[in-house]
Amino acid sequence: MREAHPTDEWQMKSNVKDDVCYVQPKTLEQRLTIANDFTKRFKYTVPFGVDDMSNAAEAAYSAWPERLYVIDETGRIAYRGGMGPFNYDPKEVRAWLSARYGEVKHPETNSEAPAAVPSATPASAIPDKKS
Amino acid sequence: MPLFWKLAIGIFLFLLLAVFAGLSYMAGSPRDAYGMVRYALPHMHKGTLKVGDDAPDARLLALDGETHFHIRERTGQKPLVLVFGSFT
Repeated sequence: MREAHPTDEWQMKSNVKDDVCYVQPKTLEQRLTIANDFTKRFKYTVPFGVDDMSNAAEAAYSAWPERLYVIDETGRIAYRGGMGPFNYDPKEVRAWLSARYGEVKHPETNSEAPAAVPSATPASAIPDKKS
Repeated sequence: MPLFWKLAIGIFLFLLLAVFAGLSYMAGSPRDAYGMVRYALPHMHKGTLKVGDDAPDARLLALDGETHFHIRERTGQKPLVLVFGSFT
């Protein structure tokens, strides 16, 4: 999906401080490069998917700039998180999963990795730290 | 210009300024308020998906740059958490 704070649009001071400076990708290759930079920098291990340049996944899930969903075993939306960044709440998802499926065994993340990840990402774990 | 229109324009400008000041406070600075209005708000949508709806499918590219997969390929065995976002 589209970068939220690229250098050629609404860049944040924190992006400069954290050395996360990219122009808005115009090709899928550029988007892929950013995704790989992210996973390498933060050693992110959950499965990753990069949205196409039409932002199909972003549109289908109204996901920009960041959002969380849970799809249950029947393929239906079981949890719909609020719109990011203000209502992006990994802890709420963790609590929801615990209530429905029992204790979440994946450890809470306290790294400096941003909660936002560079793509639409089916994941088996939830980042819990927001930077 | 009639007094009514002077007042109306004055009130409108005051409200415009108040909204911009509020956005600047919320976003952190006037520059960020501009960024929010220009680049963020047009892309933020609550959406129409509801709990209980069939999860939409979408084709994604894996990090190797060659393999594609569909979100719905990953559903069915166990719950799937989708984390959407960008690096910046």
